[in-house]
Amino acid sequence: MPVVDQRTAPRAPRRRPAPRLAVRKTPPRRQGADRGHRLWPYILVAPAVGGMLYLLAYPLVRAVLISFQDFRLRQLISGDAEFVGLRNYRTLLADPRFWEVVRRTFLFMAINVALIMVIATLVALMVERLGRIGRTAVLCSLVLAWAMPVVAATTVFQWLFHSEFGIVNRSLTGLGLGSFDRYPWFAHGTAAFAILVTLIVWQSVPFAAVTLYSALTTVSPELYESARLDGAGAGRIFRSVTFPILRPIFLLVVSLEVIWTFKAFVQIWVMTRGGPGDATTILPVYAVQSALSGQRYDLGSAASMVTVILMSGVLVLSFRQLLRQEDESR
Amino acid sequence: MNSPAVRRRLRRLPLDIAAAVTVVVCLFPVYWMVSTAFKPSKDIRSADPHLFPHTWTLDHFRRAVEADGFALFWRNSVLVTLGAVLLALLVALGAAYAVARMRWKGRRQFMLMIFIAQMAPWESLIIPVYIISRDTGMLDRLPTLTLIYFMITLPFTVVVLRGFIGTIPPELEEAAQVDGCTRTGAFWRVAMPLLAPGLMATSLFGFITAWNEFAYANFLIIKQQDNRTLPVWLSSFQNTFGTDWGATMAASTLFALPALVIFLLLQRHVTSGFAAGAVKG
Amino acid sequence: MKYRLLAGGSALVLTAALSACDVSSGPDSGDGGGRTAVDVWLMRDSVSAQFQREFTADFEKRHPEIDVRIQIQEWDGIGQKITAALASNDAPDVIEAGNTQVAQYAESGGLLDLSDRKGELNGEDWLSGLAEPGSYEGRQYGIPYYAANRVVVHRTDLFEKAGVDAAGIKTREQWIDATTRLNKGGTQGIYLPGQMWYALAGFIWDEGGDLASESGGKWSGALDTPEALRGMAFYEELQALGEGPKDSDEDDPPQAEVMAQGQVAQIISTPGGAGVIAENNPGLKGRLGFFPIPGRTADTPGAVFTGGSDLVVPAAAAHPEEAVAFIRELTGDTWQKKLALAMSYVPNRTTLASAVADDPGAAAMAVGAANGHATPNTPGWAAVEAENPIKDYMTAVLTGGDAAKEAAKASQDITRAMNAGS
Repeated sequence: MPVVDQRTAPRAPRRRPAPRLAVRKTPPRRQGADRGHRLWPYILVAPAVGGMLYLLAYPLVRAVLISFQDFRLRQLISGDAEFVGLRNYRTLLADPRFWEVVRRTFLFMAINVALIMVIATLVALMVERLGRIGRTAVLCSLVLAWAMPVVAATTVFQWLFHSEFGIVNRSLTGLGLGSFDRYPWFAHGTAAFAILVTLIVWQSVPFAAVTLYSALTTVSPELYESARLDGAGAGRIFRSVTFPILRPIFLLVVSLEVIWTFKAFVQIWVMTRGGPGDATTILPVYAVQSALSGQRYDLGSAASMVTVILMSGVLVLSFRQLLRQEDESR
Repeated sequence: MNSPAVRRRLRRLPLDIAAAVTVVVCLFPVYWMVSTAFKPSKDIRSADPHLFPHTWTLDHFRRAVEADGFALFWRNSVLVTLGAVLLALLVALGAAYAVARMRWKGRRQFMLMIFIAQMAPWESLIIPVYIISRDTGMLDRLPTLTLIYFMITLPFTVVVLRGFIGTIPPELEEAAQVDGCTRTGAFWRVAMPLLAPGLMATSLFGFITAWNEFAYANFLIIKQQDNRTLPVWLSSFQNTFGTDWGATMAASTLFALPALVIFLLLQRHVTSGFAAGAVKG
Repeated sequence: MKYRLLAGGSALVLTAALSACDVSSGPDSGDGGGRTAVDVWLMRDSVSAQFQREFTADFEKRHPEIDVRIQIQEWDGIGQKITAALASNDAPDVIEAGNTQVAQYAESGGLLDLSDRKGELNGEDWLSGLAEPGSYEGRQYGIPYYAANRVVVHRTDLFEKAGVDAAGIKTREQWIDATTRLNKGGTQGIYLPGQMWYALAGFIWDEGGDLASESGGKWSGALDTPEALRGMAFYEELQALGEGPKDSDEDDPPQAEVMAQGQVAQIISTPGGAGVIAENNPGLKGRLGFFPIPGRTADTPGAVFTGGSDLVVPAAAAHPEEAVAFIRELTGDTWQKKLALAMSYVPNRTTLASAVADDPGAAAMAVGAANGHATPNTPGWAAVEAENPIKDYMTAVLTGGDAAKEAAKASQDITRAMNAGS
């Protein structure tokens, strides 16, 4: 894997004295440059910061304001809304349906992330052990599944599970499970929930597996060798050699997957709109439902703010980890 | 029977089976989409579905392509996506360089901001973004979508690119500087070639996000229907064609095709590149 | 060097891309030098392509200064689309909205008050089923466009073969009996998808129930009343006499297309559905008949939902005068008559009823219209339709759920939606 090689190879020059010496030999130039340099980083990040301020922070502030206002269709059209303090939050938190949705969101996230991480780790370990042809085949198919656009994948899954002509029902019936003849998957809460989990796991495993696999390739074979010489079994090697090395990247992948499944919206919206009943309504779907169907933009905004707070709660731990790495990497 | 080769084969068997299962599970939905698109309608609805189409037809593709404005929406999607990805790469490159190579006050805060930006609740920002675009006269325009997609992909792009830049030893550039290059020149000549695979891998992520985006494209393009993008078209296509799953799958295939081809072509860079970026975290 | 080139190249592409977008998305300057463009949103199946062409040509001949641009919208997700349009600065000039939807838009202040145009638009003769939902607090916002209610569209040849006389079906028992006889071999007696909630509403009204009821200014769902449960029981009985999918509505797949395949004896549809069937399968032309949905007894036809559309002008429309001109033409005598005939609709005015007297579909529709009902007339109802717990309720019961339990749950959802919305 070329980049990984570059990553390890360039370590060598650090020991080469020549460039260092060269740098040391020209202190005046460096200092002169430093004065200019002091501004450079700020110039370089300015577009990113500017973009984030105008395109992200500003709308976010507006969203926060809306969550403190009485904001419905009338206010969306006319533009002047009245502040109502915490009323929307009180309405929201007093709604048992909201708590039901929160519970479901965490369940949905936990199931998805657990499945994704377990399957992805297994796939990554498997790919590492495969021969060249097998490895290329698996990586190619992972990448294809990964590249499948969400809307297209969702449409395809609807087709796979179509009650009348879907291949899944046909195959299950063909296997003698007559009860699946024209079984309406999307009409049953649990079934619809399960299909969405399948879809999201199918879409997310490739990224996680490929990333973990690439991280595995950076583990030097000598480590395994010496562990094996010490008489460690496969499970032991994974626990005491592989996992510790993978830990930072494992954390990164987990937190990305947490963010992504917490925000899985398009799949649910296109497939079930949160139905049947509320069976697949998770927080983002709930927010959009209150905003667009009920014309309660204020409640929708409040729901998303609560979502963000809950999500950051989950992520605080991994954030601290990420920031610690940040400090170490300097 | 007991030859070591056979035994090795046998020992590897579970592994090979697992690999085969992975390949099938990953590919089946993709395969089923493409094969349904090529099957004649009567086979699609026949009582016993064939795993392989017996007869092939291009009718579904013809219907999809001839549907209103297909070429136009395709072009819109390409423009918006390319614009967003290139803009994000350009901006992220600067920021990532500053973070990975320079020491400055606020660096830590900047990275924290990037991490937070990653979890931005974009679905619920639709209404504020709508209001802001309306008040600045940016509704119904493709550049608005370009800017939003740029912003959605930027944080991730910065994180990954920073990782990539971190893998290139600064000494290489310093050496070039000694040889008389400016700092920028040194970066372009020495670091850029090494960064190319990283840039590709990163741009793929941006590409797939922007190519896919549905909610904003659906809500912000109101009156100028000529400015719709493919995901919106695909979802309305299903409404228009209803039972015609063949045409719907053909449309999905046409929509997925660019992403599939690009990913496959760059497969090596994707798989190798990502970790290099991510390992640094 | 190569990479600098690449970067320069991408910047170029970017600029080109952005400026190319600008060209295509520029404001509606443009075509037709000096003519005012009127943007109109009509719903799918509201007009046929041919009607649209003829009307546009005629309108532009009579108003050479106006350039008509009609866009056809999908019903799915239309509420969100209209909301976005009403709140924008550059809304379309005329929008077709379902009659039950107008109230909430009017309440929000997004529509132009057309009360003083009633005279020139023949307001005194409007169908009340369209005019009333189009008004809010005494002001007229929605201009009646067309009405329609559902009838039974059937295959005359299959009825003959089974020895069933369609004209003799007057009661539910006769209907079930006839449908059972038709439901033989490869033929489906009736194709009734599981989520056709307008049909269910009719059966519930027949029993004396309703979808929701009001007391003391507060609305609550009423699917769990004994009357409503009897309505659902009848729906279940009827639905079993065919192979309609239990988990979708009449648009998925479009039931007219299903009937066009030739194995369906009846569907519940507006008479316009017959045109779509014949279009999809010309072989069925002349083999389609209509009768009103049977009631519980022979002397009253089955209750039906009076559906239809109003035309509204957004407050943000750039060309309200031209918009009204457009509405005047489309709702005027000439084109209303043509529309009613072409699409089998009830014209928007009582005085035009004679225009469709000879049409068998319209005649059957007129019988049913005598027992026409409306969904609860409150802005909150739109939220129920947007979320539609009724559909989930129907699927749950049809797939073996406990009717009383599911009805109580659905009623709760309706109550919540109606009171959360506005």
